[in-house]
Amino acid sequence: MRTIKRSAVNNGQALEKAHLREHKKRAPAAGVKTSLLFWTMWLILPGIMILALAAFPSRAGAQDISEGEQLFTSKGCTACHTIGGGDLVGPDLAGVTTRTEKDWLSRWLKEPDKMLAEGDATATELFEKYNKVPMPNLGLTDSEVASLIAYFESLDSGGTTAPTSSAVTLPAGDADRGKAFFMGTTRFSKGGPACMACHSVAGIGALGGGNLGPDLTTSGYIVSETAFATFISAPITQTMSAVWKGTPLTEQEQADLYAFLSKASVAQREPSALTQIAMLSGGTAIVLIAFAQIWWRKRLAGVRRPMVERAHAKRGH
Amino acid sequence: MNIRAQVSMVFHLDKCIGCHTCSIACKNIWTDRKGTEYMWWNNVETKPGTGYPTRWEDQKKYKGGFEKKNGKLSLKLQGRTGALGNIFYNPNLPSMDDYYEPWTYDYGHLFDAPEGDDQPTARAISLVTGKVMDTIESGPNWDDDLGGSPVYAENDINLDELSEEEREQLSEVERMTFFYLPRICNHCANPGCVAACPAGALYKRGEDGIVLLSQEKCRAWRMCISGCPYKKTYFNWSTGKSEKCILCYPRIESGQPPACFHSCVGRIRYLGVLLYDADQIEKAASAEDADLVEAQRAMIQDPFDPAVIAAAKANGIPDNMITSAQKSPVYKFVKEWKIALPLHAEFRTLPMLFYVPPMMPVLAKSKDGIYEVDQSGSDGLAPLLSALDKARVPIKFMARLFSAGNTAIIEEVYRKLITVRIHRRSAEVKDVSQAELEKAYVSGKTNPEEADAIFRLTALPTYEERFVVPDMSRELAVEATVLPLANKQETGFGFRKKPERRF
Ligand code: HEC
Ligand code: HEC
Repeated sequence: MRTIKRSAVNNGQALEKAHLREHKKRAPAAGVKTSLLFWTMWLILPGIMILALAAFPSRAGAQDISEGEQLFTSKGCTACHTIGGGDLVGPDLAGVTTRTEKDWLSRWLKEPDKMLAEGDATATELFEKYNKVPMPNLGLTDSEVASLIAYFESLDSGGTTAPTSSAVTLPAGDADRGKAFFMGTTRFSKGGPACMACHSVAGIGALGGGNLGPDLTTSGYIVSETAFATFISAPITQTMSAVWKGTPLTEQEQADLYAFLSKASVAQREPSALTQIAMLSGGTAIVLIAFAQIWWRKRLAGVRRPMVERAHAKRGH
Repeated sequence: MNIRAQVSMVFHLDKCIGCHTCSIACKNIWTDRKGTEYMWWNNVETKPGTGYPTRWEDQKKYKGGFEKKNGKLSLKLQGRTGALGNIFYNPNLPSMDDYYEPWTYDYGHLFDAPEGDDQPTARAISLVTGKVMDTIESGPNWDDDLGGSPVYAENDINLDELSEEEREQLSEVERMTFFYLPRICNHCANPGCVAACPAGALYKRGEDGIVLLSQEKCRAWRMCISGCPYKKTYFNWSTGKSEKCILCYPRIESGQPPACFHSCVGRIRYLGVLLYDADQIEKAASAEDADLVEAQRAMIQDPFDPAVIAAAKANGIPDNMITSAQKSPVYKFVKEWKIALPLHAEFRTLPMLFYVPPMMPVLAKSKDGIYEVDQSGSDGLAPLLSALDKARVPIKFMARLFSAGNTAIIEEVYRKLITVRIHRRSAEVKDVSQAELEKAYVSGKTNPEEADAIFRLTALPTYEERFVVPDMSRELAVEATVLPLANKQETGFGFRKKPERRF
């Protein structure tokens, strides 16, 4: 089993404790002239609050666990994760609540992209370990995150049994056909738009494609057949689902695209489209300037000064 | 025949004393505004010298005027495609250094300076940047009177064809000489600036041929500056519009000669109407170099010829313009006497300002204590004038300036001018023999009457004889479009819309 040191410090808890200490210091002083009722209130109210707090998780629990279970498949986590079935694109999530802290976990599920970008130590470690495939931000809400964590917790404490995720196998794909689909030179049979309209990926030339969607070169979904097929056959993200619900890809198209995309990601990652565009425009500018220099080399560059300098040089001044 | 009227000019260089009064008169009236400080619509140059802007005559560099390509006349600057290609970047503009950086002095400092051990000084301040200028390197007449200067005189492009020996002679102390060349816009019959303007902002006024630059249409492409071989259009860096000499048309319209003419101390300037045949413009501008002057003379028509008068009337030229042309001193100098020549006809813009070339001071030797005029040569212009081929400034130089390199034309002019002198000497001093006089008339291709007339218009002309300003009938012209009564007090000088940068 993996042991990971959690470096995240719970600032929230620390602050809360500090506040409590403040209250304890002030409470007796405030209570000198107060009545018995007041004292009873002071004893009873916190008691009620503690009871309520204790009851809350257990009450929400039952509902959250089933919702979490549902989300785990509907949000497409199964494309990359199993629970107890071994690593796929991402790690096996069995025991995840025991090896991670809850705050870290909930933030991770909400914004894995941000955490990776910020260089969170744990996230980076995981990222390195899982072939530098970043976990996508699946746009989960706070309550969805809570449900998922509740689900993981119940699994880890043996409350629920994990679903068995089934690996998807696609027919043999052809990378060239996939590229043609991606770039739109071949139309999809159901008439969906070319991926290039919104995505770029390594291997389609310097100018890349659109940038409404993320660059797919580093997408986790193109690392395994299962992940790709699960995602693309029924995309769960906002734009993708809107685009592909009505015009789904055939299995063969998925296979071809996967053949193409998986090759692109295996290949050495090319410099980002932005640097490529910068280099391209820089190069064009240099060519244009050079051209202008040649074209306008006979331009008038001053008459008087050279004339005077020449005359002085002739006379050895 | 397609007759047009042109208010033309003659500058008699023999009379120019290089006082720059004309330049100052012009500057005070027209170019004392922000952005025009460096402009001299009228300037006076010393020749041999490099002028303003420096070496403006060097069209290999400045690309002004026209050239003949495969027998056809085309702008040296660029064709239509060239204009399109260079529209955002005109590669043939003189730099500020080629004109000069205009400056003033910190006069205030002379009054405000705190008390100190030394006299306060007024430092030079750039009129463009407002910064102190440590060294002033050039000015609009920087080479004033610097005949023989190894920097300026020697770099006069008109000396290019002289032999090494001839050039060296020019800088010998005894021979050193110079003359002045006042220049304004030539109001050409085939203007390079008009041809070069992509915006159509420049035009040649129909009634009197004055070339003007519309401040409303100018789009600052600055092709006129390159297109004009005389560098007589200028860019106003403040308004973002080009400007040029307007021949003081508001003065002309009210019957006065332009300010530079009016103020001329040496009275070298003449103004009058010429009638010319516009159908001959292309032919005249595309003649062979040696024939350019003759072709331009042929283009100018006789205002007394009934056929010309009829054609002029058919073109709507008013009677008073025709009578004005008949009194024109310019017609006499240019066409009748043929002693006024266009400046650099080889630029092929058909300049309508003509110059009477200056008589060079005689070349004399002091030998054994005797001062003796060098008069050897074929002309026999003794005892007053040295022979033409012994002129201090070689004839070739003058030919480059005034007859597109054709020495025969300029020699003819000089012979006539010399004959006028001999004629006058015989009348005043009476020491010229009749035989010598007769010989001079033949050599100068003139006669006593003509010589007298030339003398009179050169030395004793009245104001009215020098300036025959046509009656422009401005009120009549205005009446055609606006009601004078309804609009009185609304006309005047200046812009109805201030010229301004639009971006
Ligand atoms: C495209 C593949 C992909 C999808 C889809 C995906 N993940 Fe991940 N997940 C990963 C990868 C890869 C990692 C390892 C970290 C990294 O490389 O960014 C990871 C890490 C994790 C971790 C941390 C594991 C640990 O050991 O600390 C959790 C928890 C997790 N994912 C939960 C989920 C949940 C819940 C979903 C669905 C809402 C989901 N993931 C969807 C690829 C994916
Ligand atoms: C209309 C634009 C559009 C088109 C067309 C499109 N996508 Fe997407 N795609 C998106 C957007 C936007 C996202 C980001 C998530 C979301 O909002 O759906 C995305 C996300 C994805 C992801 C997840 C990437 C990640 O790592 O988070 C994959 C994989 C993907 N698209 C593949 C494809 C493929 C394959 C095609 C072509 C068959 C395609 N997309 C066509 C807009 C598009």
